[in-house]
Amino acid sequence: MSIEIKNISKQFGEFKALDNINLEVASGELLALLGPSGCGKTSLLRVIAGLETPDDGQILFHGEDATDTHVRERQVGFVFQHYALFRHMTVFENVAFGLRVRPKKTRPSEAEIKKRVHRLLELVQLDWLADRFPAQLSGGQRQRIALARALAVEPRVLLLDEPFGALDTKVRKELRRWLRRLHDEIHVTSVFVTHDQEEALEVADRVVVMNKGKIEQVGTPAEVYDTPASPFVYQFLGDINLFHSRVHDGWAEVAGARITQTDEPNAANATLYVRPHEIDLSRVAAGSSIAGVVSHIRLLGSTVRLEVEVAEHDAVEVELTRERYAEGDWKVGEAVWLNPREAKVYLAG
Amino acid sequence: MAFKKHSVLPGFNLSLGYTLLYLTIIVLLPLSALLLKSSGLTAHAFWAVVTEPRVLASYRVTFGASLLAALINLFSGLLIAWVLVRYSFPAKRFIDALVDLPFALPTAVAGIALATIYAPNGSMGELLAPLGIKVAFTPLGIVLALTFITLPFVVRTVQPVLQDLEVELEEAASSLGATRLQIFWKVILPTLLPALLTGFALAFARAIGEYGSVIFIAGNMPYVSEITPLMIISKLEQYDYLGATAIAVVMLVVSFGLLLLINGLQWWSAKRLGRR
Repeated sequence: MSIEIKNISKQFGEFKALDNINLEVASGELLALLGPSGCGKTSLLRVIAGLETPDDGQILFHGEDATDTHVRERQVGFVFQHYALFRHMTVFENVAFGLRVRPKKTRPSEAEIKKRVHRLLELVQLDWLADRFPAQLSGGQRQRIALARALAVEPRVLLLDEPFGALDTKVRKELRRWLRRLHDEIHVTSVFVTHDQEEALEVADRVVVMNKGKIEQVGTPAEVYDTPASPFVYQFLGDINLFHSRVHDGWAEVAGARITQTDEPNAANATLYVRPHEIDLSRVAAGSSIAGVVSHIRLLGSTVRLEVEVAEHDAVEVELTRERYAEGDWKVGEAVWLNPREAKVYLAG
Repeated sequence: MAFKKHSVLPGFNLSLGYTLLYLTIIVLLPLSALLLKSSGLTAHAFWAVVTEPRVLASYRVTFGASLLAALINLFSGLLIAWVLVRYSFPAKRFIDALVDLPFALPTAVAGIALATIYAPNGSMGELLAPLGIKVAFTPLGIVLALTFITLPFVVRTVQPVLQDLEVELEEAASSLGATRLQIFWKVILPTLLPALLTGFALAFARAIGEYGSVIFIAGNMPYVSEITPLMIISKLEQYDYLGATAIAVVMLVVSFGLLLLINGLQWWSAKRLGRR
């Protein structure tokens, strides 16, 4: 089931939540909507689900206009951040809910319901919890039940709103890998919303980066990470260092050092983006080195983060592996040279 | 104490001690005095007093009318709470404040006002008389007065629960294909059940003990519209203190039994919601 989103706009009072959004979701893919809070990702998901009506635009499901279809008839599975399980029902009854509320004609028999619910509970590996109430489950288990409940109605599209947002880091990591495996198994077209770039990059087939009601970039995780379309995407997908730069003869320069070549021959104002792990440190100056002094060293598990003070700049963050850090034997207060391996230039204005 | 569990919250002994002392002075002491007083009667005499036909009729009136009033408020209270929580309209705050008025009004005032309006020559009574409906000075009047007095209970217990009900639950049910009616019946109502039962129990208990408003509208006809509290008062007026206490003891025991039952139900349904 493919989804086509055409010129969707949505306004809440003065606030423009969605500004002329166009997007296609291919059949069977797992798509992530990524962005900071308030960027419109949840609104877009709710518009796709039919929980929110757009002011303008169209939603097509498999080429058919579904814009005015009620959420009840849209056949979407929706998973909420805070599970939204029915507390007065057992796990079994929660999952069976979507089957039991069907009109008599299409409602499966009791035996069939039982069979299908247990199959779904096995799919989410929680068959043994069928008789429990939601209050007796952990957060991760609740979200898996919520997913089984959404899948029970055999949705054409699965929509997940920050599905792991309320869980702790370790469970979140386990669950997103599990979701990826599950998706590979059942192949239902899925869209999930997240503000966690790591989650989006790890789980999704394609990532949609959103900001202020607009789509900034659509692409595979590798595409959006390696070739960010805008400074926003660059900043949002990981840590960055900013350098004030000017372009001279096709070279972006920082404090006189030529860092990287640009298409633009000359520009007085440009900003250079460099990720912390794309900077090398050395004790000798090369052609494209920036001088600095190490001011802080922090150990972060597998990597080491050094803060380097650079004249007329904010402190620059450099991330080294433990081995490289040990090789260099860097000390606080030491004068060093920064050599950016990769850099991206965005011209001001 | 053997049953005291270790807890980080201090003051268990002190607070439990205070609670027991308080309940003893405020609740248990007067009640045990009542029981003690009634023990002045022999079992035979006691039984004769409390099973007098006129007294038996008053039990039916009191418990029947109270049950009916509480049931009426169960539905209308839910409706009022629903409207106040779910919709916004002008003068909502004003209407919200109106709900509490029966709490504040002296019950005798309420009784006299209702009796005046619903008397055959009153503004409402005039309208109902041609239809053959008599409210004032009949058991129907008692139900009306009790409904008025106990209106706030269900509204005020259900309102906060309804307010906290997550919209997501309804959205989830909707996305699973449930109709509005199914959502109300299968998702909202079960969640409200403990609050509804609590409100019902409070309204019922309050109605059983109500005296002031009822006597003005009931007409107080023996065997028809006499409530049990009135029987107690009339025994007192005849200086039959022992007879009055005997009837009071019966009311006490029956009320306590019923409240215990409703509390049990409420505890059971709350447990199912995982709110232990």
